[in-house]
Amino acid sequence: MFAVLQGAFDPALFWEYRVTLLIGLLQNLSIFAESAAVAIILAFIVGIARLSPRRALSWTATAYAEFFRNTPEYVLLVWIYFVLPLLLTKLVGMQVKFSPHLAAVIGLGVAYSGFMSETVRAGLRSIPGGQTEAAQSLGLSSLTILRRITLPQAIRRMLPEVINQLVSLFKATTIVSLISVQDIMYQVSMISVAEMRPVPLYTGAALIYCVVIIAATQALQALTQRWRTRGWA
Amino acid sequence: MESGLNQIRPIIQVNDLHKSFGTQEVLRGITLAVESGAVVSVIGASGSGKSTFLRCLNYLERPSSGEIIVDGETIGASAAAPGRRAAEPSSRDIARMRSTLGMVFQQFNLWPHMTVLGNVIEAPIQVKRMPRREAEDLGRQFLAKVNLLDKQNEYPAKLSGGQQQRVAIARALAMRPKVMLFDEATSSLDPELTTEVLEVMRDLARDGMTMLVVTHEMGFARDVSDRIVFLHAGRVEEDGCPAQVFNAPLSERCRQFVSSALG
Repeated sequence: MFAVLQGAFDPALFWEYRVTLLIGLLQNLSIFAESAAVAIILAFIVGIARLSPRRALSWTATAYAEFFRNTPEYVLLVWIYFVLPLLLTKLVGMQVKFSPHLAAVIGLGVAYSGFMSETVRAGLRSIPGGQTEAAQSLGLSSLTILRRITLPQAIRRMLPEVINQLVSLFKATTIVSLISVQDIMYQVSMISVAEMRPVPLYTGAALIYCVVIIAATQALQALTQRWRTRGWA
Repeated sequence: MESGLNQIRPIIQVNDLHKSFGTQEVLRGITLAVESGAVVSVIGASGSGKSTFLRCLNYLERPSSGEIIVDGETIGASAAAPGRRAAEPSSRDIARMRSTLGMVFQQFNLWPHMTVLGNVIEAPIQVKRMPRREAEDLGRQFLAKVNLLDKQNEYPAKLSGGQQQRVAIARALAMRPKVMLFDEATSSLDPELTTEVLEVMRDLARDGMTMLVVTHEMGFARDVSDRIVFLHAGRVEEDGCPAQVFNAPLSERCRQFVSSALG
């Protein structure tokens, strides 16, 4: 029993490869940060557009959200990395190629913007319509109402859900090794080929992810704490 | 009323206003003129169209047809030449018209993430581009008018319903509207809180504010209004001074409504 556990967990092995693994982790972190930025920006645009009184706009936004929400991230990644460049090459008549990193950021960004646009929409819808009517009756424009009345309240309500989605996004960054981004999973698989010891390496990778994600969640919650508990209501 | 040519131009003129929700026609041709400085109470049973009428005036509901002229400016359907389909009024025109009509809602509709003063100064700053300092002075002036200056830094959730409604009145007044529209402003308040809101409305009337008041408060309507309009099934059924409408209504429906409402 003890021997089995010892075989599954071997800190010394990780210490030996600390630099390689750290480089891998930084890849995960940078893809996470960049795709989170893409996802959040797109989510706001799409989420707000879905509530537009203009049918064409809200319909397009809904179609976008549904498409990316219901397509597996892995398929998206592969499509963007392998298929999209081929299409673009034909379209512009010039060789187009994405780096694995760029394809990963775009793929995860659009995939999660679909989920998050739903959160943005729900957050905005949760603000009582009377508040908007009061603002309209005073002559405020739609944009001012969003900026000053509905969004500030909605964002506060969205935060817990957005943090959950960011955690999912971070976990999803592990699939980028499949399009040869050199993240932790990629490094671990390389090392395990060299060392022939997959058990402690993959177990260790799981532990690293878990620790990093718990730490990141705590950090996000601490960062947003002040915002979530402001004086009103 | 004499139909002379030398009448003062009404501040609000509504001609043949219709509004349907789907197949249900809620307003069936309302024509009404409100003189500057008049207090007009709109009464009627639930579903008679009084709230819809008020909400059409500032385009919170789009009228299906008809003409609304506020202080000489026509908005909406009638703006097109005869025989041509009316152009949709631009959102800028609607916003400009709305800022001349102050509206007070049954549910107060204060913005909970802003302080009391923040609620009052928001529209002057955002719509009129008033400098913050000036807006704050103006805001305090109107908060003092509704007796809530001491609450200026509180958030709305800390206030009673009556206080919230008075803030909502101050917020509407801060835009210096030409007309104040009250949509059942006391209907969601306890009786003791109703009094303090009605008191503020009485003050406004004394100051000469033009007011259009949709209300169930028959006492207020009788004491404060210059004129009572009784709506029934989307039409003006009775229109006259309080004494006439309450004591000698011409329409049988109005007589029934008044006698049951006054108890």
